[in-house]
Amino acid sequence: MTGLDSIARGLMLDSLRDYAKRRLPYEELRRLDRENEFPADVLKELYDPEILGIHLLLIPQEYGGLGGSTFDIYRVCEALAHIDLGVATSVFATFLGSDPIRVGGTEEQRRFWLGKIAKERLLAAYGATEPDAGSDLVALSTRAAHVVKNGKIAGYRITGNKQWISNGGVADLAVILALAPGGPSWFVVEKGTEGFSANAHEDKHGIRLSNTCALALDDVFVPAENLIGGVEGQGLSQAQAVFGYTRLMVAAFGLGAGWEALETAIRYSRQRIQSGGPLSQKQGYMLKLIVPHAARLEAARAFIEDTAHRLDAGKHGLQTEGSIAKLAATEAGNRAAEDAIQALGGYGYTKDFPVEKIKRDVKITCIYEGTSEMMEMTVCRGRWQEHLKSRGTYYEEQAAALDRLHASCPTVGADSAALALRALNKILEECRLQRLTRHQHVTMRLGEYIAQAETCAAFCRAASADHYSETVRFDAQTWQALCRIHARETAADICLKGAKLVLGAGAMNPGFADALGLGAILAKQAGALEDQELAMKKLAESFRSR
Amino acid sequence: MNPMKIVVCVKQVPDTTEVQVDPQTGTLIRAGVPSILNPYDHFAVEKALELKAEHGAEVSVLTMGPPQAQAVLRLALALGADRAMLLSDRLFAGSDTWATSYALGRAIRKLGRTDLILCGQQAIDGDTAQVGPGIAQNLRIPQITFCDQVEIEDRQLKARHHIDDGHEIVQARLPVLCTMTPPQDYRPRHPSFPRVVQAMGKVLETWTALEIGAEPGMIGLKGSPTQVDRVYAPPQKEKGVVFTGTAAELAGRILDILQKENFLTP
Repeated sequence: MTGLDSIARGLMLDSLRDYAKRRLPYEELRRLDRENEFPADVLKELYDPEILGIHLLLIPQEYGGLGGSTFDIYRVCEALAHIDLGVATSVFATFLGSDPIRVGGTEEQRRFWLGKIAKERLLAAYGATEPDAGSDLVALSTRAAHVVKNGKIAGYRITGNKQWISNGGVADLAVILALAPGGPSWFVVEKGTEGFSANAHEDKHGIRLSNTCALALDDVFVPAENLIGGVEGQGLSQAQAVFGYTRLMVAAFGLGAGWEALETAIRYSRQRIQSGGPLSQKQGYMLKLIVPHAARLEAARAFIEDTAHRLDAGKHGLQTEGSIAKLAATEAGNRAAEDAIQALGGYGYTKDFPVEKIKRDVKITCIYEGTSEMMEMTVCRGRWQEHLKSRGTYYEEQAAALDRLHASCPTVGADSAALALRALNKILEECRLQRLTRHQHVTMRLGEYIAQAETCAAFCRAASADHYSETVRFDAQTWQALCRIHARETAADICLKGAKLVLGAGAMNPGFADALGLGAILAKQAGALEDQELAMKKLAESFRSR
Repeated sequence: MNPMKIVVCVKQVPDTTEVQVDPQTGTLIRAGVPSILNPYDHFAVEKALELKAEHGAEVSVLTMGPPQAQAVLRLALALGADRAMLLSDRLFAGSDTWATSYALGRAIRKLGRTDLILCGQQAIDGDTAQVGPGIAQNLRIPQITFCDQVEIEDRQLKARHHIDDGHEIVQARLPVLCTMTPPQDYRPRHPSFPRVVQAMGKVLETWTALEIGAEPGMIGLKGSPTQVDRVYAPPQKEKGVVFTGTAAELAGRILDILQKENFLTP
């Protein structure tokens, strides 16, 4: 992917924010949310190449798009989530709907369909999920039967139901996953095709302005050239191939929405006077409701960016990384929004302030594109293999790298991060010795610890770099303090929770508790309060009232 | 006839109308404040592009600043400008409005024949409103300041020049320099994504002091006669008093005041 440079990205984000400021003030978003209304005209404008042309970013240049890199698209997704997660979801659904074509389509199909989406500004939808097949796509029941003419397959007749389809009722075309005689396959189905219909727009908890429908396919005929890739049975691998990338985009949603909630809370804290001073100067308030979220969100950002750069450098798949990014960022965003309501007190609980809506909206990021629990399983599965293949050295080697990092840059908490990875390694090894991964609960908790440890390591690498990413909004002192806060928390969490997990499921092996390094991890907690106070002061300074 | 050549002079400024001043040094604190194209200049770029759409013209954008000032040139290119020049050189550092006007004037000379130069009325960081007029003086061409409208017909420019209580229509023959004042409800226009990408392929040159033939003693700190003594918020202008009445009554009241305030004592 060619991609843009940081100036071009900055200009696009400015254009997007300016559009939102004019066209989507909070009162309008609140109305759309209340009335469960899909803003079709807004989506048209977002896709209008004279106004924004946002959809062109995901389409390669050779098919009439702008060929944005993964990093570019992450930045736009984050900015969209700052504006409104429902609008973001509608844009994203087109990204997602065109992905099977981009990844699995023949050259001719890519030229035709991607060119058409670019030129005719089409909204797309991604139809994988079914009433009885969500995360478990193997349970797929939509069928595509051959239509044979003159001894050749002329097309397919598709029958089945799709559930929770973003843009389902408004998309100009949908890609539909169906079981063909040769196995699961993707088909392009255009709006208005006979037998293809959408049910009513769902009445959802959040992202209410994003159109979500069930789709019904009743003996829908599509010509053979609408089979993506031209070969049956590629559907699941085509779906899998983009997860690293698409989950990164949902991670960006969690990041953007989480920060939007947190920034609102910080701005409020500067204005709200309580017992003689602003809340932003109250240690108990800031260290509970603000600082930990900033640290977690920035750690997730570091991991997202690391993965985006690797995808842009040509790495394929990165499913485990995409899942780590999604798990870390969306859970951090959800928690930040929850505490933002608390931070605004009674005001936070009303619809006059946006945090209540952000909280309802951001919850979806922990569910769609794979639930957090599916992410935990995927992460554990992926890294467990690495642990076994490397004979237990996978995380030890990363810990050693963090030790070296700490030697050259002692201010980011890489020593705590190294302790976190070593503790994780011991926990994984203990689980192997005692065969504890036979418990589903154990595997999922391991997935959580792995995600936390790896985001922590990525944060340390980013915070010790010579040049910071263009996305860092704080000075080095603040960003490194946030990194240390996160590293300390991660080390203690993994050590204590991991020990509890192993001992709860198995037996106490001699030496296990000592091997976790609890003493060293506790020693590293020194200075935690000072760092949090520094972060509190800097965060309050960084987000002034508008 | 050759197409008209328009040059727009722009500046990258911190995005805030409440810039904080360092109490020790008296300079602006820019850290952490995002940079934008000076809104007055943004308006000047849009006006130049309107004239281009109407008459056909080549629009060049010119700025002086550090390498990161490229961002505002790229914005102007994305909005539709044809080429952009960045004057960037350590020798320019510390230039005041005098030295800046000289350098920009030299760069415009290097560009060759120029029919119209547009500037914003002032930059929102320094608020001097001196650089536009300074360029006109350097180039020895007429200037019309604080314009919200410009029209061109037969190489004759007609501009609406703002004054305190209204406006004047001023005419001048090209070449001329106008400083532009946006209307109250002005909102800068932003480019679409495809236009941002198109701008990546347009000409953006960086010129050094040597390349514009600037004399070393005329630029940078050496070429800057201004010494900033201190920066402070000026006291608010007191409100005037309006009297009504006949001429005789008013003359009497004014005389009273002049006497009371001791203006008439010899």
